Amino acid sequence: MSNREPWQRGDDDEGDEEVDESNYKTQKDAVLIAVEVSESMLTPPPASSSKKADRDTPLAAALKCAYHLMQQRIISNPKDMMGVLLFGTEKSKYQDDDADRSVPVYPHCYLFTDLDIPAAEDVKALQLLAEDGEDEDNVLVPSKEPVSMANVLFCANQIFTTKAANFGSRRLFIITDNDDPHEADKQAKSAAAVRAKDLYDLGVVIELFPLSRGDEQFDMAKFYDDIVYRDATVEADMTEVLTSKSGTGLSLLNSLIANINSKQTAKRALFSGVPFEIAPGLTISVKGYNVIHRQKEERSCYIWIDGEIPQLAVGETTKVSEDTARTVEKGETKKAYKFGGEYVYFTPEEQKSLKDFGPPCIRIIGFKPRSSLPIWASVKRASFIFPSEEHFVGSTRVFTALWKKLIKDDKIGIAWAITRSNAKPALFAIIPSRDRADEESATPFLPAGLWLYPLPFADDLRNPPDLREPIQASDELVEKVKVITENLWLPNRMYDASRYPNPQLQWHYKILQALALQEEVPEQAEDLTIPKYKSIGKRVGGHIRDWEGLVEEEVAHVKKVSAGKRDAADDDDDDEKPKKRVKTESKAAGSGSQLSDPQLKAASESGTLAKMTVAVLKDVLAVRGLPVQGKKAELLERLDEWVDKNV
Amino acid sequence: MAEKEAIVFIVDLSSTMTNCNSGRTESDLDWSMKFVWDKISHIVSLSRKGLCVAVLGLRTDETNNSMGEDPGYEHISVLQEMGPMDMGALRNLQEKIKPSEETMGDAVSAVALAVQMITDYTKKLKYNRQIYLVTDGLGPIDIDDSDLRDISAQLNGNGISLTVLGVDFDDPEYGVKEEDKPRLKTRNEQVLRKLVDQCSNGTFGTIAEAIDELDIPIVKPPRPYKSYDGQLSLGDPDIFPAAIVISVERYFKTHAAAPPPASTVIVKSDSALGESEAAESEVMEGVEFAAVKQARTYKVNDPTAPGGKKDVEFESLAKGYEYGRTAVHISEAEHNITKLETTKEFSILGFMEQKKYSPLLNLGEVNVTYAKQFDMKSQVGLSSLIQGMHRAGAYAIARLVAKDGKEPVLVLLAPDIERSCLYDIPLPFAEDIRSYQFPPLDRVVTVSGATLTEHRFLPGKELEQAMSDYVDAMDLSGYAEDEDKNLVDYMAIDEPFNPLIHRIKGAVKERAIHPTGPVPPIPEILIKFSHPPEDVVEAAQSQIDTLIQAAEVKKVPPKAKGRRQRETVKPLSGLDIDALLAAPAGQPSSKASAAITPQNAVPEYRRALSSATDLPQVESATKQMGAIIRDIVTSSFGGNADDRALEHMGAMREELINFEEPGLYNSFVADLKKRLLSGELGGDRREMWWRVRKARLGLIDGKESEVSEVTDEEAKEFYTSR
Repeated sequence: MSNREPWQRGDDDEGDEEVDESNYKTQKDAVLIAVEVSESMLTPPPASSSKKADRDTPLAAALKCAYHLMQQRIISNPKDMMGVLLFGTEKSKYQDDDADRSVPVYPHCYLFTDLDIPAAEDVKALQLLAEDGEDEDNVLVPSKEPVSMANVLFCANQIFTTKAANFGSRRLFIITDNDDPHEADKQAKSAAAVRAKDLYDLGVVIELFPLSRGDEQFDMAKFYDDIVYRDATVEADMTEVLTSKSGTGLSLLNSLIANINSKQTAKRALFSGVPFEIAPGLTISVKGYNVIHRQKEERSCYIWIDGEIPQLAVGETTKVSEDTARTVEKGETKKAYKFGGEYVYFTPEEQKSLKDFGPPCIRIIGFKPRSSLPIWASVKRASFIFPSEEHFVGSTRVFTALWKKLIKDDKIGIAWAITRSNAKPALFAIIPSRDRADEESATPFLPAGLWLYPLPFADDLRNPPDLREPIQASDELVEKVKVITENLWLPNRMYDASRYPNPQLQWHYKILQALALQEEVPEQAEDLTIPKYKSIGKRVGGHIRDWEGLVEEEVAHVKKVSAGKRDAADDDDDDEKPKKRVKTESKAAGSGSQLSDPQLKAASESGTLAKMTVAVLKDVLAVRGLPVQGKKAELLERLDEWVDKNV
Repeated sequence: MAEKEAIVFIVDLSSTMTNCNSGRTESDLDWSMKFVWDKISHIVSLSRKGLCVAVLGLRTDETNNSMGEDPGYEHISVLQEMGPMDMGALRNLQEKIKPSEETMGDAVSAVALAVQMITDYTKKLKYNRQIYLVTDGLGPIDIDDSDLRDISAQLNGNGISLTVLGVDFDDPEYGVKEEDKPRLKTRNEQVLRKLVDQCSNGTFGTIAEAIDELDIPIVKPPRPYKSYDGQLSLGDPDIFPAAIVISVERYFKTHAAAPPPASTVIVKSDSALGESEAAESEVMEGVEFAAVKQARTYKVNDPTAPGGKKDVEFESLAKGYEYGRTAVHISEAEHNITKLETTKEFSILGFMEQKKYSPLLNLGEVNVTYAKQFDMKSQVGLSSLIQGMHRAGAYAIARLVAKDGKEPVLVLLAPDIERSCLYDIPLPFAEDIRSYQFPPLDRVVTVSGATLTEHRFLPGKELEQAMSDYVDAMDLSGYAEDEDKNLVDYMAIDEPFNPLIHRIKGAVKERAIHPTGPVPPIPEILIKFSHPPEDVVEAAQSQIDTLIQAAEVKKVPPKAKGRRQRETVKPLSGLDIDALLAAPAGQPSSKASAAITPQNAVPEYRRALSSATDLPQVESATKQMGAIIRDIVTSSFGGNADDRALEHMGAMREELINFEEPGLYNSFVADLKKRLLSGELGGDRREMWWRVRKARLGLIDGKESEVSEVTDEEAKEFYTSR
C-alpha cells in the first residue's frame, strides 16, 4: 500500500471490529460441513430432456456447495476455519494419524478436509472431488452397514474440541437426504440425541440442510428434532429449517447454495446490550450488526522463502525510544499531542478522560421527516440494530412499535449515540428498513429493522470550489435525456448489489489461488461492473445521436448570443475562449487555480511555467489533486509531468 | 496558500485589572486573558510562519516602546515584537503578563503604536492586519476628535481591523450593563466606541461575549480537492459510435474529519538529553519527551527451535499475501499481479427509480460532480443529464475508476437541479452484504411454522398509538425561526460539531497554556445534541408518560442473570436428554459419581453440575476438571493447547458462577496461577498466564457472583501481581 492517496489515510476501520458476548472466547468461526454419503445421495436425478434440468447427484451438489462455500470464505472470512467430514463412507479416516495410535477412528466417518483455515491444497482437493468428480481414493463409496449418527456427532465433537478450541462460534452443517437414519434402532437414536446435547453444551450449533428425495418431504420429527437446538434466550429468533430441492427453475445445487449462503458468516454482533433510550425515561436494549461492510482484500504480508515451503513471517513490534534506541516498556510511555512544534502531554488516565463522553447509549433526541435528510449527508455506512430482551423485557415490542410508526409516516429518528465504551460519540439518523416481503421495500436483500445512519458533522462538510454558474440545457434537450433514461432502467428499476461482485477482490483471490496451486494465471478478469456498451448503443444510440446534435445547436446559439452581448458591452471577460487567456497569463497567474488545462499546456510548452510564483504553482497543483510539497523545481517538474500525461 | 496575518494584541496590565468585578472570582486580568490566550494558542497550534503576532502591554510599570520619548506614550511596553509564535514565545509571554502597580497609560496611543508596528512589519505586502485591544477602560485617555479621526484614517488606510473588548463594557444586545460605572469608564467607553465606529472594519464589544464564544469551535474546511477530472460517459464511443461524453470535475462533498492523533512518547532519559539535544534542537525546541519508534522483528514456525519459533532476517522475506493459510509470495517484478488493470473512467451502467433507493446502501463519503469550467458543451450536456434524470425520477448507477489502475467502484449518481451537479455515493458490491438472518418484526413465527399476530414481542394497539403520538410530539422540524422568519429544523445539518475533535483540540490548547492545570470540562456546545431539547420534552411530557405506561418495559435485574437456575435445554422435539441419560435401568444414581473424561470434559462437566444435588458432587466434578486442565496445560507444546485449557476454564468458571460456588473456582485458579508461574506445569508458562489474564478468567468477585468473598480490588490485584 505504498501509493495510498491522502484521503485514504486514517483509521476508517476504527470501531469496526466485532465483539462477542462471551469474552473469554476468541472471535473466530469454525464450520464443519458433514455430508452424508449413501446410495440415495449418489442417485442421479431422473433423466430429463430439459436443458436446465439437474444432472448433479445430491452428493455432487452437496460437495460443490461445500467447495463454493470454501472459496467464498477464504475471501470473506480469511481467518476462520472450515472442514469437510463425509459420513456413511466405506472408508474411515480421522485427523492425520501420524503414528499416534491413540487417536480413535470413527467408523464410516471420513474427514476429508481437517478443520483449519483452508490451504490452497485443501481447495484444490475439494475442487477435484466436487467439480471434476475425481475420486482416486474411493472415498465416495457408501458403506454397507449404516453409520451411527452418535459416532458422527462425537467425531465432530472431537474435531471441534481439538482444532477449534475456544472459538466464539462453532457450527456443524449437516447435509443429508436421510430424515430417519435410525429408523428401527431406538437406542442408537437416543445415543445420537445425547451426543447432540454434548455438542450443544460445547457451544457447537448444528445447522441442518436437508435435501428432499424427489417429492418426499423431509420429516424433521422422525429424527432431527432431537438433534437440532435453538437458543432459548433468543426466543424470537426462530428461523425455519429450509429444505433444499430441485425444481421450479432452481437446481438442487442452487437451492442448497442459497440456503447455506444465509448462514455463510457467523452472526456476530458489532455491539450488544446497548441501552436505547427511546424517550426520556423509556429505555430498551439493542444489539448492533455490521450487515453492510466494505469487504477488502487482506493486507499484504511478509513471507519467508528460505525454508522448504514458503511460510508466513509473523511480525512482532517492540517499542524503542527514538533518542537512545532503547526498548521501551509499556508503562513508560505517555500520550502526547503535537502543538506548536512541541509535545503537549497527558497522563494515560487524562488521555482516556478526553475521549470519555459517558457510557454506551443510543438516545433519541427527536424526529424529523425522512425528506429532511439530504442524499449527500453520508460519511460512513450504517449499522443495523435489532432489539434484545436480555436487559429489558419488552424491548422487542417497543422497538417494533417505533419501527412501524417510522415506516408508516416516513419519518426518521435523530439520535446521539456512543455504541461502545470509549467509542467516538456521533449523531445518527434512525432509519427503518422494510420487511423483505414488503413490495415497497427498496432493499429486499436487507433484513427488516432499524439502522443507525451516521450523520456528518460540520467538520465533515466540504465546500464546493468557486465555479461560475453553468449554462443550462433547453427543455427539448432535457426531454431527450428523460427518454434515454427511461430506456435504460436497470432490472426492476433498482440497484441489486448481488449482481455486482467486486471485480478487484475477485481478481485478487483468483490470481492468488492460481499462484498458490501453481496453475496458469488467468488472462482476463470477469468484471460485471463494466457497462454493457453494446446494449446501451442498441437501445438508445439513436436518441444519443439526436442529443449530440441538439447540444451542438444549443452551444452555437449561446455563443452567438453571448458574442453579441460582448460586442455591445465590449466586455473582454471571455471565459468561453480559454485560448485567449494564454496571452493574459500574467493576469491569470494571480489566481492560479483558475488556470485551465489548455493554458497550462501552452505555458508548459513555451516554458513560461517557471515564471509563476511558488504560491501560484501550488494552487495550480492543488486544484488538480497533485501534492504541493517540495521546492519550486520539484513543483515545476511535477506539473510538467502532469501536463504531458493529461492534457 | 493561507493568507499571511499580522495581529497585535494590546493588553491592559494596570493594577485596576487585578480587581474581581461583577461577582466573578477571578481577576479582570485573568478573565480577559482567557480570550487572549485562546487566540494566541490557536495561532501557536497552527505553526504557520506567515502568522505573526505582537503583544503590547498597556499601563505597565515601565515604558518600553519606539515612541517612548513622546508624551502620551508612557507606560506602554512591547512585550513581544512582531513575529511568528511558537511555544517558546508563548512561555516567554506568559512570564511577562503580570499586573503592574501602574494606573496611567493611554489606550488610544497604544492603538496608534500598534498601527505603526503593523505597517513597519508588513510594508505594502498582502497581509491580513488586526488589532485587539483588551482593557477595563479605567486608564485616562487624552484625545480629541481630530486625533481620533487621524487614527481611524490610519487604520482604514492600512486595511487594519480593530476589535475593542472591554471588561464589563455595556452591551445592550448581549445584555451587559454595569451599574455604578465610574465616570471615567463611561467616558472612555464612549471614546473607544467612537473610534471603532469610525473604522471601516471595527468591532466593539464586551469581553464576556468574546469569552463565551471561545467555546464555539473553529471549523476551517480545507480547500476543494479534485478527486476526479475527466469524462463522464454513457456508452463508449469506441464500441458504439453514439455515446454521451461530458467533461467533468469531481470534488469531495463530505469527508470524515479525524481527531488530532496522539503520539506515544517517553520522558527523555537524562543521558539522552545531553547528547541528542544538539541534533534535535532544530526540530523541536525544549522537548522533554522523545518519540517512540516501532521496531519489528519477524518470526516463523520451526519445530526444532526452542518454543517452536525462530527469528528470521528481514532480508530473507518476500512480500506476499495469504490465500487461506497458504502463504503466496509475489516476486518484486510481479508485485502488481493481483491488481486489476483498469483505465480511468466514469461511466453510467443504467438508471434506477429514485423511490426505489434506500439511503441504507450509502457506504461512505460523498463526492460532487460539476461540468468542466469554460466548456460550454459539457455544461449544456451535464445540465441536460441532471434535469433529464430529475424529470424521469431517476438516479444513475455508474462505474468509477478515479485514476488509471485504481480499483473500480460503483456509485449512485443523484441529480441536484438547483446546484447543477451530481452527487455520487459509493454503493456496496455483492460481497459487502452479509446475509444475516433476523426474525420478522411484525409477526411471530413459531417453531411449528404458525404465524402469530398477537404476542408479547408484538406491540398492541395501545402501544402503537402511544408511540405514534410520542413520535409526532417530538418532531423537530420547524423548531425555530431564522432571520427571515422562516421555520427551520432543530439541528440543521451544518450545526453539530464533532465533539471528540474539538474536545481534544480544546484540552490540548488549555494544556499548552497551563501545563499543570486540570483537563477542562467538555464545553456545553459540543454536547448540545446529546439530549432532546428541554422545551420539546416538556411539551411532550404527557405523550411520554402514556408511552412509558403502554410499553411496560421491565429491566432485567442483574442478579437474575447469574442466579437463574439453568433452564433445562431441550432440542426442538422437547426430548428430555437428562432423563434419557438416567434411563439405563439398574444403575439409577451412577451419574453422581460419573467420571469426567478428558475427551468430552466440557459437556460432561456441565451435565454433572446441572444434575448435581449436593456440594460433594460439585466438588468432585470440579476437582476432576481441574486435573484435566492442568494436564492440558502441561502437554501444551509451544502453547498449542492453551486455547483448549482456556475453554475448559471458561466453562468451569461459568458453571460455578451459575451454581453459586465461586469459591471452588477461585481456589482452583489461585492454585493454577501459582503453578503456572512456578514452572510446575511443564516449564515456562507465563505466556499461558498472560492469556488467562487477557481472557479475564481470574478470580470471581462479588460483582459477578453475590456469594463471592473476593472483593473487586482483590480480583484486580490477582491479575496484576506476580
